[in-house]
Amino acid sequence: MGAPTAWTPVRSASSPDENRLGRAVLAPLRVRPTLPPDPRYMTVESPLDLCVNTQTPLLQFPPPAPGQPAPAASRDVESIGSLVEGVDYRYSPGGVTRMVHPLLRRLHSAGVVGATQWVSLNPFAPRTILFNDLTLHNVAVAPDRLAAYGNVKETIWGTVHGLRESGGSDNLFWSDDFSEYAYYNRLTAETIRSLDAQHDFDLFYIHDFQQLPIGEMLGTLKPKLFRWHIPFEADSFPERWHAAMRGYLNQYDTVVVSTDRYLEHLREFGYTGRGVRIYPYIDESEYSDPSPEEVLPIVERFGVKETDRVILAVGRMDPMKGQDHAIRAFALLAKRFPRLRLLLVGNGSFSSSASGLGLPKSGSWRNRLEAIAEELGVGGRVLFTGHVTQRELDACYARCEFTILPSIREGFGLVVVESWIHRRPAIVSKRAGIAEIVRNRTNALLVDPEDPKQVAGQMEAILADPKGLGAKLVRGGLVAAKKCTIEAAARAESELLGAAVEG
Amino acid sequence: MSFPPIATFLPLIYFAVILLLTWAVGRLSGLLASRIIGRTMAPVAAAGGRLTTVIVWVIGVTFAFQELGVSTDILLLMILIVGFAAIVALREPLQNIGAKYFSDIYTPFKLGDTVQVGAYTGKVIEINPVTTVLITESDTLVSVPNSLFVRDVVTNLSPQKWREVIVPFSVGGSVDLARLESDLRKSLGKLRLRLDARFPPVLTTRARTALSTDLTLTVMIRQPEDRDAITAEVGKRISEVVSLSGRTTSGPSA
Repeated sequence: MGAPTAWTPVRSASSPDENRLGRAVLAPLRVRPTLPPDPRYMTVESPLDLCVNTQTPLLQFPPPAPGQPAPAASRDVESIGSLVEGVDYRYSPGGVTRMVHPLLRRLHSAGVVGATQWVSLNPFAPRTILFNDLTLHNVAVAPDRLAAYGNVKETIWGTVHGLRESGGSDNLFWSDDFSEYAYYNRLTAETIRSLDAQHDFDLFYIHDFQQLPIGEMLGTLKPKLFRWHIPFEADSFPERWHAAMRGYLNQYDTVVVSTDRYLEHLREFGYTGRGVRIYPYIDESEYSDPSPEEVLPIVERFGVKETDRVILAVGRMDPMKGQDHAIRAFALLAKRFPRLRLLLVGNGSFSSSASGLGLPKSGSWRNRLEAIAEELGVGGRVLFTGHVTQRELDACYARCEFTILPSIREGFGLVVVESWIHRRPAIVSKRAGIAEIVRNRTNALLVDPEDPKQVAGQMEAILADPKGLGAKLVRGGLVAAKKCTIEAAARAESELLGAAVEG
Repeated sequence: MSFPPIATFLPLIYFAVILLLTWAVGRLSGLLASRIIGRTMAPVAAAGGRLTTVIVWVIGVTFAFQELGVSTDILLLMILIVGFAAIVALREPLQNIGAKYFSDIYTPFKLGDTVQVGAYTGKVIEINPVTTVLITESDTLVSVPNSLFVRDVVTNLSPQKWREVIVPFSVGGSVDLARLESDLRKSLGKLRLRLDARFPPVLTTRARTALSTDLTLTVMIRQPEDRDAITAEVGKRISEVVSLSGRTTSGPSA
């Protein structure tokens, strides 16, 4: 079967997916082996019946051609086997699904959870997709409501990440747009409630800030867990949001955040339930180490020449990611290092994609970055890849000398862990959550992203001493990366689920 | 074989026709009453509708039986006697159920609040049709008849409770709650200057059956003296939103 808008089977750089199901399009030469399930997982009498909810779906479906209905959305139930990857759907980029899916697979194979129901926003998808041990339930919202929902979501996102004046959105919860935000959340809660009537779930695991009101809307006595993926810093929320947010949060039995610092803020904010810190994680088995022969043709397509020296920044096109700061620092080094290139890998998120909310921020931010690079005289040396496949992403890591995460605020920053497992040193923004496990000059270099001289200085330090400082940072990074493995997370999440159902 | 004359069946035909008409008139008048009452008193709109329907049925059934030659005097007498006996026998529970009915609308407390009524003080842990269960500071359960909450002075000791206006209402089981919530929020947004902006409206599902969903809408007011006016205005807006969308309001949740 075919969709009117065919897609190239590629995805966001920061979210490797093709290997996730063991269905790699092109088998890499050396794929890291999947580790066997950890025997220390919680043991349960019978696997838990779990309902997971994320805004971003695991699989994204293309929008219909103008004037046409969405072909997939007209169908009630589809098996994944009847759909064609790259034509009918593609795997979602984005940190949340990227973390949740491997975790569910791991917990399922360890017998902790059974067949799981996963509810997401997915306007152009069939209502239900049978996907191995998962059943994906898709919530569709009309475009006008979706646009208003997107406005609220972006306002919260921008405010939390310091991209908006907090006072400007004081009345957010009273706006007409918020009514649509509530519409989407209520629709999702009703879908979950209806599934609960069929499956009698043991617990509900709700992910990410967009879904915060779901706990209250579910109105169930069963355990509800919430994972807050973005930064949690109480002072970033407008005062007028506090009571409402506290009310929403306190509807959950457990709230999971990504760093100890966020956990402190969560408690100070007035959350009275069980607060838990679990570091975000990656599944190392999804990554590969491509050979130099493989790497060369891939990076050449992005404009990297054989003799170039490459700095890599991986992240979607979003002002929060601070690629502009990386360009400014890069420009300070450009004359002294004529073969240096800055490779910016990544495109938009689900919110920016046509299959999602269709927000324009990704494209406009890339235009802005290109303009900055031109203004600083490094236009031809800042290279944009857009979406890349997992294989291409691995090649970019293999080709670079070091990576930089210049985010002005970042929930965590898993690309640093990716850099470590690819044995590349990393320069890390002090404002990223992962800074909590960075020991400066031991496993990474910490910088203030808005200080281009400081960033350029740290870039130069690694460029000047790759075998000394660079190698030291890699050794330290490999140790730190162990805190962010799927195994470590699966153990922690397994205990969390056990505690949630047993009290 | 010969059939009896049609006139023999006429009373039965009249009986069936009257019942059919009763059904139609009952349904129509119930809806009409519900809508008219809902304009001013949304929470009791459905109850008013149901009462109207019952009255129409009593009248209709009486006329129908008259067509069959049954003495309606005896029928009405029986209804009166049974009704009177039921009221006498169930006086206490009815008082409590009635009190619960009104306390739902007019008494400012809910589950989790700490209240004082008569000689009893405690946290409300259950409100059933007959009693309200409190847990006292000494960890003792006290079951207080609902009628006491109407007869006696009730003090809600929870802080800032004067701000809270809770309006219970019910909608049909097939109502699109997402749309209802969105429309309600938009409507209540017009009152935001009179409401505490820190607390957006909260729509809570309290009970659900295939036929109906019981909900409460909670808003927080800014000025205590606005309480009555805002309660009425919120009720009116609920009624408007529900009826404009072509949905049927029922009464306060049980």
